[in-house]
Order: sequence, then structure tokens, then C-alpha cells
Amino acid sequence: MLSTQKAQKPQKRFYVPFGSSVRLVILLLALLFALAPVYWMLTISFKTEGEHFASPPSWFVFTPTLEHYYDAFVTRSFGQYLLTSAIVAVASTACALVIGTLAAYALARFDLPLKLNRRLSLWILSTRMFPAIVTAVPLFLMMRDVQLLNTRAALIIVYTAFNLPFVVWMMRGFFADLPRDLEEAALVDGDSRLGALVRVVLPLVAPGLAATAVFCLIVSWNEFLFALVLTQTDAAMTLPVGIAGRVTQYEIKWGVMSAAASVAIVPILVFALALQKYLVRGLSMGAVKG
Amino acid sequence: MGIEFRNVTKTFGGACVVDDLSLEVRDGEFIVLLGPSGCGKTTTLRMLAGLETATSGDILINGERINDVPTQHRDLAMVFQSYALYPHMTIAENIGYPLRVRKLAKADRAARVQRVAAMLEIESLLERKPRQLSGGERQRVALARAIVREPRAYLMDEPLSNLDARLRVQMRGELKRLQHQLGMTTIYVTHDQAEAMTLASRVAVMKKGRLQQFDTPLNIYNHPANRFVAEFVGSPSMNFIEGEGVTKGIRPEHIQVLTAPEDGAIEARVYVTELMGNETFVFLSVGENRLIARAPADFRADVDTTVWLRLATDKIHRFDPATGKILPQRRNDATEATK
Repeated sequence: MLSTQKAQKPQKRFYVPFGSSVRLVILLLALLFALAPVYWMLTISFKTEGEHFASPPSWFVFTPTLEHYYDAFVTRSFGQYLLTSAIVAVASTACALVIGTLAAYALARFDLPLKLNRRLSLWILSTRMFPAIVTAVPLFLMMRDVQLLNTRAALIIVYTAFNLPFVVWMMRGFFADLPRDLEEAALVDGDSRLGALVRVVLPLVAPGLAATAVFCLIVSWNEFLFALVLTQTDAAMTLPVGIAGRVTQYEIKWGVMSAAASVAIVPILVFALALQKYLVRGLSMGAVKG
Repeated sequence: MGIEFRNVTKTFGGACVVDDLSLEVRDGEFIVLLGPSGCGKTTTLRMLAGLETATSGDILINGERINDVPTQHRDLAMVFQSYALYPHMTIAENIGYPLRVRKLAKADRAARVQRVAAMLEIESLLERKPRQLSGGERQRVALARAIVREPRAYLMDEPLSNLDARLRVQMRGELKRLQHQLGMTTIYVTHDQAEAMTLASRVAVMKKGRLQQFDTPLNIYNHPANRFVAEFVGSPSMNFIEGEGVTKGIRPEHIQVLTAPEDGAIEARVYVTELMGNETFVFLSVGENRLIARAPADFRADVDTTVWLRLATDKIHRFDPATGKILPQRRNDATEATK
């Protein structure tokens, strides 16, 4: 009797006493692990220089100051770096999305001869299979030859190239999951390929597009290596390079660096929150057939 | 609009899906491409729509070769098996899409969408999204999107196959009425012979990429060109009896079941009976052979009882056992048929 009752109940795979509280604790630990450095950075940005080195550290109680923010964005040119970072990140993301989406659509939908669909996709992916630094010197020489050193254009080109494989692979998956019938219906209804892409296909993969955009933006925003190699002047320097530049032979400007880094978090945070709805759907797209 | 297939062949990889198809559709005809799955009927339709390219041969609309005309310039409308409604658009936007693409003024567009919606009785759904609609309603929307502009021809790819049986019969009737009303050339793909028989002005029966017969439903039923057509069309299926050098076929309604012996009647045993409501299917064994006969609804016979059969001799079809092709009819076959 007991056993039949048991069998009828949906079985839980793991039974943990106080399951929800255990889960909560694990979550809190994970949060602590992820956010502690951010918290530390934020507090440093508001502490006076003296308090930076207090021992024991003043974890929670200190006299807040905005002097580092003033120093970073008024005295020094971090505002300029921030602007450059924004322009470079947005422009390269936009370029990568436009080019990558078209490429991905072609790879997902057109049957190319000689199994080129598969081969091209793999070739595109293979450009990400070596460490980025391998290309740093060649890129430096190329940019020097075309006189693009110390320009935003150089960074936009390099970041676009770097983001493209990612965009192509992400979007190719989203397109492949979309039933062909819809585009075929659009074609029969009299629309062109491009029209069908814009009016029918893209609205349907918008969540995927949003998720891809966020990733590209984050990568471009945080990129350090190429920005360091390709830009030296204040006018073309991005925020990560600007921040790192405060580590010098003579001193390390912890306060200024933290202030700039804290500000650097904000745009991505806002963008990701705004797209959160799409982000979750985009990342799980194709995982569950709806 | 006249449509013509001239020696059209389509191969995928090495496989020949449509084999040397020649077919001429006259203006205003309702043509049904009928056949089992994999017979090439959908591929034929898709080649006409421009969604597949013909490997060889010509496809003509009004005498103009359209093989190389891209889909969007062929001016055809298509209803897909999945309906292919645009999920992110409202019903009104879905129906209006072909007009929007043609840059019709907004007011014009709305008026025409309204008119078509009224015709198909879906006015109350115009503001909804496709996912909020039932299967039957989606089907109507797909139809509405096809007829909102006046295309050169309608192509329909098993449009009723996703509906339940009752709705299918209802929509079948409405489709027929609509086609009559609009008088539009229609090419309709199905594997359901009942749809083919009821809708078509002419039926093209296909098998393994080859056209078997292209004729009116009545001729297809009464004068099948070969054994495949005879077997595929009609429900229950035609009875076949293998003889020496000949295969004979007779439809269930041409076998009369008698409960008492009669001159020239053949003795048979009842295997089982199935009462369908308005008639009874009688499954019979005659020697080695199994036959199905149609009897009136009040026909009763127990399993294994002996009955007598009278075959309508002029309705017996003779097929070549090797090729399946029809042979000329002969008289007085009744007793010979079951030998």
C-alpha cells in the first residue's frame, strides 16, 4: 500500500532537509564570492588615501570622499577615456552585429557548394583558437602602415574582427532553429530575401541578437591588450588602458583607479539590466523547443 | 492562369525526387497532386513556387518560362502545411503582409484585410497574435493571407492535414466554395484521396516522382491507369486477385453479398464485419484471397458463416501483374475472377 502511494508521487531526485535554506546559503556564498571584490573596489574609491592602507582594514566604517572621482574625471582625462571606450565598444558591436548577422544568415540558410557551409563556419571559429596576443604585433605593424595607430578606428576594426566569429556562431544557431517556412512564406508573399530577413526573421531572433550584443559590448568594453598595443595617446586611449596607466614606477593610484573602474561598471550594468528580459530568453533559445 | 511543367526533373544528391514530370494546368482549374509521402508532390509545388530549383525541364506560367524568376516575382500565393504565420505580427498584420511588401497605402491595406477577414469570418481575431488562435482559425488566417492579393495562382501544401477530422471536412467544403467563388487556378498537394476526390477538377496521382495518371476524379476512380492508382484511390481500397498472367481488381461496392446461393454466385466465408453506421464493410475469404465488400447497414452475418458473392462483371479491372498497367477489359469475368 505504502509503496504504491510512493510510486504515484512524483519522485524528487535529491531530498535535502531544509533544502531551501541550504540553497539560500549556497547562493549567498556565491554572491559574496562574486561581489566582494566589487565591494572592495567601491569602498576604495570612496576612502581617503590614508584609509587605503589601514590595518586592520576599515571594512565598513570610513569617512567617504569624492576626491578620487574629482581627480579622475576632472583633473585627469578619464572622462575622455570613458567616451573613447563607449564609442569604440558601441561602434564595434554594431559593425560586428551587422556583418556577423548577415554572414550567419547566409551560412544557416544557403546551401553552398563543396560543403562550404560547414567548412566556412569552422574556419571562422578557428580564428579564435589562438591566443589574441599572437596577432598583436602583426596588427600593430598593419595599423602603423595604414596610419591608424592611436585612432579609435583602429580599435573599432580590431574589435569588430575579434567579435565577428562569436556573432556568426551565436546567430547561426538562432537562425538554424527558426523554421524555414516563415521566410519561405515571406518570399512567396512577395518580399525579397533582405526584406524577409528584416521584417520576419530578425524580429523573431531579437532575444538572441540582444544576448549577442551584450556579450560583444562587454568584450569590447573590457578589452585591454589591443587597446594597450594600438593606442598611446589620451585621445585614443580606452578606459582599461587608462586605468592601468595609473600603476607607475613611483606610485599606484588605488583611489583614482577604483573610482574610474567603478564608473566603468555602470554602462554595462545598465545595458544588461535593460536587456535582461531578452538576455535570459536569448541564452535559453533553442534549448527548449517551444 | 495556365501553368505548365515540361519534362521537369529534380534530383537531391543522387536521388531523383521528381522524374520527367509533364503537366498542364488550365486557367481556373483546381488541380490536386495526390500521392503517398515521398512521391515528389510537395517538391513539385515548391519548384513552382521557386523554393526549389528544377534540375532540368521548364516550368511555365502563361507560356513564360519562370525557372529563373525568383520566388518573390512569381506572383503566386502559398498556404503552408504549418500555416507559417508570422508569430510576432497580429493577424491583421499577417494578412496585410503581402500588401505591405507591395507598398500599398495603409488605408487600402486595411480595407482589403477587412474584406478578406469578413469573407473568412475572422474579423474578431484581427488584433490577436497567431499563438492565441486555434488550429482552424490559423488555417483561415493562412488562407486569408493567400487571397488578400489576387495572385496568379494558389499553391496549397497539405493545408488541412493539421486539423481534426471534423474541421477538415468543414474546411474542405469552404475551400471548394472559395475556389468556386474566386475562380482561381489552384494547385493543391495532399496524400488524402478523399480531399483529392472532393476538391479537384483534375487529379495528378504521383508515385516515386513519376506521374501515374492525370485525369478527373471520376475517371481516376473508374478508369485507373494502373494498379497503384486503383489501390491508392478509394476507401476501402480496391480488391486484387492474382490470376494467371493477370491481376484483377474490383471495388468493394461492386461486390454484392448474398445470404443464399444464386446462379453464378461465388461461395465465400465471412471473416469479420464492420458496421460503419450507414453501411457495413464485409471482410471475406474466398479460398486464398481476402476481399472487402460494401453491404447495406442492415446486413448481418456471423463470423465464419458462408455467403455468396455476385461481382459486377463490367466493373472488373485487369492489370498486368509485372508492370501494374491496366489491360483492356473482358466480359464474363465473374467466375474466372476468383480462380
